[in-house]
Amino acid sequence: MLLVAPSLAMVAVFVLFPLGFAVYISLTNWPLIGPYHFIGGQNYSALAGDPEFIHSVLFTLLYTAIVTGPIFAGGYGMAVLVRSNRFGSTFFRTAFFLPFIIGLATESFMALLELQPDSGAADYLLGKVGLAHATTAWTVNYGLALTAICVIVTWFAAGLTMMLLMAGMQGIPIELYEAADSDGATWWQKETRITLPLLRRNIALSLIISVIGSFLAFNQFYILTEGGPGTSTQPVVMWIYEEAFVQYHLGYATAGAIALVIVIAIITAAQLYLLRDDTSAARR
Amino acid sequence: MTSLTTRAPGTAGTSRTSRTTARAPRPATRVGFALYLIVGTLASLVFLLPLAWAVARSFMPDSLVTQAPSAQDFGHLTTGNYTGLIQANDILHYALNSLLVACGTALLTALIATMAGYGFARFRFPGSGVVFALVLVTMMIPFQALLTPLFLEMHTLGLTNNLAGLALFYTTFNLPFGVFVMRNTFLQIPWELSEAAAVDGASPTRTLISVLRPLVVPGIATTVLYAFLFSWTEFVGALTFLTSNNLYTLPLALLNLEYGSVGQVNFGYLEAGAVIAMIPCVVLYLGLQRFYIRGLMAGVVKG
Repeated sequence: MLLVAPSLAMVAVFVLFPLGFAVYISLTNWPLIGPYHFIGGQNYSALAGDPEFIHSVLFTLLYTAIVTGPIFAGGYGMAVLVRSNRFGSTFFRTAFFLPFIIGLATESFMALLELQPDSGAADYLLGKVGLAHATTAWTVNYGLALTAICVIVTWFAAGLTMMLLMAGMQGIPIELYEAADSDGATWWQKETRITLPLLRRNIALSLIISVIGSFLAFNQFYILTEGGPGTSTQPVVMWIYEEAFVQYHLGYATAGAIALVIVIAIITAAQLYLLRDDTSAARR
Repeated sequence: MTSLTTRAPGTAGTSRTSRTTARAPRPATRVGFALYLIVGTLASLVFLLPLAWAVARSFMPDSLVTQAPSAQDFGHLTTGNYTGLIQANDILHYALNSLLVACGTALLTALIATMAGYGFARFRFPGSGVVFALVLVTMMIPFQALLTPLFLEMHTLGLTNNLAGLALFYTTFNLPFGVFVMRNTFLQIPWELSEAAAVDGASPTRTLISVLRPLVVPGIATTVLYAFLFSWTEFVGALTFLTSNNLYTLPLALLNLEYGSVGQVNFGYLEAGAVIAMIPCVVLYLGLQRFYIRGLMAGVVKG
């Protein structure tokens, strides 16, 4: 079919071929320049014993564990606030969602200044309430940098969760709430007995999207900490990038990347599984 | 498609119900509404103030930006960071690079996705299910994990250090979403309309252009908007595939301001550059919000 050929060609050239190529590279000691040898599974066994790689995996998991909750809670609360169409709700939705539109890279550059000692707004504001010194340097300390980045990411991503949950909430038939009202149900009862159960699919979807985003974190760490101090705040994608394009261990880096592909593919498969109702109904 | 204007499940007795029954709002409702406004406004400030603050900072000279904030700063606003950034760092050149890549990506994605969406929605052919699945599978593959093979492949093809190459890369990873949205758009069109056109002797291509276009424009707008915003804000791909300074996109130019300069970072410039990067996103979103939300409701956007 001629109409779909271009799409197929693009996907074949930029996704399917690289994917197969990646598997091949990961089985070699590919340097950027010069000859390479087939070394079988050595890269993979080396990964398992590489403290730097393992740290980046654990760090990514820790980061994901920290941010997923606040992003979801914030997004859910905001969705409850703005789901009805009443005065101000459109404005609130736009305001809450704006950071997501602008993008984490741009916002990380903005945050860099505000996290500086002596001049940043973070120290200024927290200093006023006695939570920080005017000289706290946020980006060069493991715990402080992780804290700051988690706050920024929550601020950035909660709007997306809000939008996804709000769409689900608006899809719940109003009759259910009216019936509950006539039965004298309280607000809390309606939330826990009607909204939450019917929202399961949207909740799962928003969590999956948020977790994938966290697993692929790069911009905020690269811009704000460069993975430092040392490599303590280096997430997996940054490990791959550094190993491939700074250390020129392309084969080794790709082995790590394959591991990431597998994990993400499994999570996304769950996402597509959740979406299957829409898809299969529309197909045919 | 769930529309945002759908009557949403309200909390007990919104002001709307009270008004239609011409009764004064119950006290509890009025308190609830006030609470909603207060919480909403405070939360909005949390999201908007940092952005507004960044804009304000971008108009402060570097000597002030590197000192603790104070109310007096607002008495010294200047456009110096912007003029300096334009003259000394040629920021408009990088903005143009970003714009070229983003527009190229948006147009190419719209073209290819529209063709494929139409093909998938209207025609059955051997293996169409498999092909559609292959396109969707791309959504499962994070491009961040394919940087090494992509770099080697694109290098061999002469597509690294090449804005067109970057646009091709961005287009590919926007295609699954675009194809999905376009296919759904075409599926929602009443068949009779295109059948009538066919009866009148229009070819499938002719039908696509004359009859279906007006019905399809919202889908295309959604695809274009996502592709544009994706490539305008993308960072790690550009970092990997662009190596010469004069091809850098805006985020890389900002990175240069952070790490490239010898000695002290010019934070005033960095802030002004970030604001420049922010503007198209805000303008496009505010202008085309309904198309963006259409895309979100398709439910397949990746965060």
